[in-house]
Amino acid sequence: MAEHNGKVVINKLEKTYLDGKGKPAFTAVKGIDLIIEDGEFMVLVGPSGCGKSTTLRMVAGLEDISEGTISIGDTVVNKLEPKDRGIAMVFQNYALYPHLSVFTNMAFSLQLSKVPKAEIKKRVDIAAEILGLSDMLERKPKALSGGQRQRVAVGRAIVRNPKVFLFDEPLSNLDAKMRVQMRTEISNLHERLGTTILYVTHDQVEAMTMGDRICVMNAGEIMQVADPLTLYKHPENMFVASFIGSPPMNLIHGKLKLDNDQAYFIENEGDTHPLGTIKLKGPSAQKAKEIGSRPVVLGIRPEHLYERSQHENEAEFTAPVSLAEPMGAETLLHMDMANHRLIGRIQNDRLFKRREEVTLYLHLDKCSFFDPTTEQVL
Amino acid sequence: MNSGSKRLTRKLLAHAFLILFIMMIMTPFLTVIASSFSRGNFAPSKLIPTEISLNHWKYVLGIPYDEVVNVTTGETRTLKADVVPIRWFWNSIKISIIASGGILLLSGTCAYAFARMKFAFKNQTMTGLLILQMFPMVLALVAFYTILEFIGQFAPRMGLNTHAGLTLIYLGGVSIYIWMIKGYFETISTSIEESARIDGASPFQAFILILLPMSAPIFAVVFILSFISYMSEYPVASVVLQTGDQWTLAVGANSFLYEQQKLWGRFSALAVLSGIPITVLFIICQRFLVSGLTAGGVKE
Repeated sequence: MAEHNGKVVINKLEKTYLDGKGKPAFTAVKGIDLIIEDGEFMVLVGPSGCGKSTTLRMVAGLEDISEGTISIGDTVVNKLEPKDRGIAMVFQNYALYPHLSVFTNMAFSLQLSKVPKAEIKKRVDIAAEILGLSDMLERKPKALSGGQRQRVAVGRAIVRNPKVFLFDEPLSNLDAKMRVQMRTEISNLHERLGTTILYVTHDQVEAMTMGDRICVMNAGEIMQVADPLTLYKHPENMFVASFIGSPPMNLIHGKLKLDNDQAYFIENEGDTHPLGTIKLKGPSAQKAKEIGSRPVVLGIRPEHLYERSQHENEAEFTAPVSLAEPMGAETLLHMDMANHRLIGRIQNDRLFKRREEVTLYLHLDKCSFFDPTTEQVL
Repeated sequence: MNSGSKRLTRKLLAHAFLILFIMMIMTPFLTVIASSFSRGNFAPSKLIPTEISLNHWKYVLGIPYDEVVNVTTGETRTLKADVVPIRWFWNSIKISIIASGGILLLSGTCAYAFARMKFAFKNQTMTGLLILQMFPMVLALVAFYTILEFIGQFAPRMGLNTHAGLTLIYLGGVSIYIWMIKGYFETISTSIEESARIDGASPFQAFILILLPMSAPIFAVVFILSFISYMSEYPVASVVLQTGDQWTLAVGANSFLYEQQKLWGRFSALAVLSGIPITVLFIICQRFLVSGLTAGGVKE
């Protein structure tokens, strides 16, 4: 179906909201550059107010562009009406037309552009078939469940046969079970249609599971654009490290010290249970030598703490459990360390008690180091 | 006293109160109906007239009838109004429907602009409308008179003593309805119109095809309210409309109440008559006055 070019190029895009007197009041998007390849599933993810929805709405043509350009295919669309941009959008609240039947909801855009009736029926039927809505075409939206309504909204986008699908947090109004199901359906849809998708969400699970690539945004700026695994394993900055992953990456403030060909990480002093001085081994020691003696933030994912020694390059430490969350397959151990709370994802089927002293092993090969002032990876 | 009889007492008291309340509301209404069927033009003293007479209704509807003028000789005369009061009824309906339709058109479009568009001095204009609305129309009576007199010099069909002129003034009462409709529009998620925009609808198409059908309940309410108010409006109509053939129901009904003689019977018949179109309108509009018309479109 995707015979047309759905490459989206966002160039130095900026959005500034003006106050009542026409003076710049708030910059929501601060000059971002992003290229979405034809047929790619790109997820924009970030906390509330990071500018991801504003960016999407600018691509859709629902918000004016303050600076920069957006092109879809090979056309700069800054001045084009939404309907002429070759996009279709699915809204968070579905935004169905409540007084129209499912069929008319889906056919509305085609009726407006005076497509022949037979053609409309054909295209709506195909979309309804894909989404399993064929039996409900005569119903009104209020007679549908949440998941069905969202499917109608998706169907309305499909019949337009757009170059780019825009999704604005489409699953956040669904219950947990429905969300998982729709997630798969949208992924399948992308597989089937092969159309470019720009998908906004604040849910990192959606981002990780659906996106070919993920663009993490914060405070109007792009933090990192990468595929899910790269994003997870090699975060470029502390924001991405703490935003992606649940529970997030542990970030421990301290400094690196090189001494007699040995490398150490010394945690900043605090009140209780210091991690203290860790002797770095293997690749982490190599990395530390490249970085040199300086203040750093050590990042380690919760799953890289173990209760039993199982790797060559490990650091051992003992701390009391302040909270244990058994999840079934694993247990999340929270330990209040000197300056922070350390979380470990422990594969173990025993119950941990509060205040129980546990000895854990930290896998040094998996450590990342960040600059504490710029927050960038070293 | 056990709890069963306590509940019974409470129930009885509640019902007694409700019945009393209903009687208080119904009595004036029944009195007017009784009065319209009584013989003689008196303020009625009984809810069920001792002698039923259709004379007032005949007078109002323009059916000639015989009236006894001399009780001793039994002399009668045939009576028929010069301007048949039913004409005022049609005048009222015509003016009220046209004015209410105009109100819908004006307030609907204005409210859309206020609810959805950005323009300079929007809030000031809204507040201004609200403040202006607080002054009763009657205060500007002399201005209306002069304005219509002036217009009449150029377009006699819209000047004084014309229905067009009165309708024009009635359309000025639009601001309260703008506020009402604007409030309703604001409960409708803007993403529905944005969705329509992406689907290729112009702002006008989004308004006509999407927003209007969803707003049927508020339009029904506005139509009913303005219709009722114009059916019963007296002060402005009494000044603008000067000849009997142009009068509206309210002005005509008032003409039965002379200082020397108040013709309560005819007045009552006319009053009952005026209730009919309002009732009919309610029955027609009832199907629009349903909640849930916007249900299912968006999830809040």
